[in-house]
Amino acid sequence: MARTLPSKQRRRRSAGVSISMVVPAVLIYAALLVVPVIYAFYYSFTEYNGFPTRVPEFIGLENYRTVFGSDDMTGTMVITAVVAVVGAVAVNVAALGLALLLKRTDRFNTFGRVVMFYPHVLSALVVGFLWQAILGPQGVVNTMLEKVGTDSLPFLSDPDWALWSMILVIVWSLFGVQLILYLAGLQAVPEDLLEAAKLDGAGRWQTFRAVTWPSLASTVTVAVITSGISLLKTYDVVVSLTGGGPAGSTKTLAYTILAVSFPQRDIGLASAQAVLLILAAAVLSLTVLFLRRRAENDAESIG
Amino acid sequence: MKKTLTSAAALRVTFVTLASLCMLVPMYLLVVNAFKSQREILSNPFTLDLGTATFQHLADAWNNPGFSILKGYGTTLALVLCVNALAMVVCAPAAYVLARTPKLVSRLLLFFFIAGMFIPTQVILVPVIFVLRAVGLMGTMPGLVLFMTATTIPFTLFVFFGYIRVLPRSLDEAAAIDGAGKYYTLWRIIVPLMRPIIATVFILNALSVWNDFASPQMILGPGSDVYTVTTGVYAAVGQYSTDYTKVFPTLLLAVIPILVIIVVMQRHVMSGLAAGAVKG
Repeated sequence: MARTLPSKQRRRRSAGVSISMVVPAVLIYAALLVVPVIYAFYYSFTEYNGFPTRVPEFIGLENYRTVFGSDDMTGTMVITAVVAVVGAVAVNVAALGLALLLKRTDRFNTFGRVVMFYPHVLSALVVGFLWQAILGPQGVVNTMLEKVGTDSLPFLSDPDWALWSMILVIVWSLFGVQLILYLAGLQAVPEDLLEAAKLDGAGRWQTFRAVTWPSLASTVTVAVITSGISLLKTYDVVVSLTGGGPAGSTKTLAYTILAVSFPQRDIGLASAQAVLLILAAAVLSLTVLFLRRRAENDAESIG
Repeated sequence: MKKTLTSAAALRVTFVTLASLCMLVPMYLLVVNAFKSQREILSNPFTLDLGTATFQHLADAWNNPGFSILKGYGTTLALVLCVNALAMVVCAPAAYVLARTPKLVSRLLLFFFIAGMFIPTQVILVPVIFVLRAVGLMGTMPGLVLFMTATTIPFTLFVFFGYIRVLPRSLDEAAAIDGAGKYYTLWRIIVPLMRPIIATVFILNALSVWNDFASPQMILGPGSDVYTVTTGVYAAVGQYSTDYTKVFPTLLLAVIPILVIIVVMQRHVMSGLAAGAVKG
């Protein structure tokens, strides 16, 4: 099919084809992800109740002042931060620890991996309802405690307990994914280095510090970022496990946006909260990436 | 020396067994209590008396007039298939072009897409509602499909990009010499080679779409009668969370299909997850 088009025209046509291949993805992505983010920024500086007939009224930083000014909302942010930080640490420690235990592929370990992983395929909403039936005032655990003659425990009815119960439930349901990540990462740890360490008489801990941990660096980065971001937007579990209570002790930022500010038609405030979460996610990712790059540079200067 | 080794192994096995128990007990409770009356659940949550076990509560949950779980499966499955199909149809060409044009523009575009991975999609649902309302898709399945597709595009595109980049360019050149256009080359030559990565992406996107609660809840809204599995469970269990004869059977029905799929396909799911996530 020898076409006799001048090369310039042909190149232009080929560029046109390329553009037509990229445009659909750009359109959907931009319209429903990028534009909403821009809108969130814009609305966050306005007072707006969401009615189509009303024009958002520009009020500057007022919404942010409200967010940082009210104890209720700073409390929400502290709770979100606690969930994200404590949760991410717990998830990753549990996942890495179990990955080291389940590293060998035998039948027992394969079974263990599936068992650790399965909660991830349940929706967080279902997980929350299930654990509510287990930890609630009339739930399974308290029934059993009463049976053995002990007082019941306020897993979900005491503000302090509720937050830790919720983090426990989140860790239970999430660490399986990170476990798979770490198992994949462990396969990339060079076998000869491990053997060399053994021959040199290094103990388990020394081997881990000197060989396994450095080889896992990129896996750790990915695992921490992904778990941190998914914990930042904790919403479903709150809805089904605690409903934000008792006394707002489990109200995360995502929950406040979708279940409090939005239903109250406080679009400006909801947007300001959304912007803060987006910034937190960006800062978290950039920090982890930056730390990793520095660690890599250090490693290079040593090696 | 030998002795310490075996005791370490025994410790490992004990620990893993205990951890496995912790993981499995909630599921065990969910299964056995779906067959019991409220009184039995409250008095003996751990045991199942086969003499009094009944399918009545499961049947009631199945026939719940407010939420048909069968319809819920159907809606969610349709959602999973549509979102995956659309995401792949738009991402494969885009990833192909970006992977084959080593120019600054395509680097920037790729970065633009990857940045989307760090947007906590649930929290931009409020402005998304206004965008969808402006184009008349708020409260509709097409609107929900489009939004969920948008949220899967960054990951899908990035993983496709990584995969296509290592496919030899000589394939394209051979096709071009034979007179094939770019679209033909993509769908007839590149996409068939992408089967493994398509399977991975399909599984991961399917999991996240199946389990999503916030998006269908906010976009479909309580006014519409369309329930996904998650929003239906919320409607059916939300207010009755102390009536365990509603909670356990409904939850069991909600998780059965996905658990069956996971047990049957566990190897693919887990290896796919590892492959996809390490690349991400």
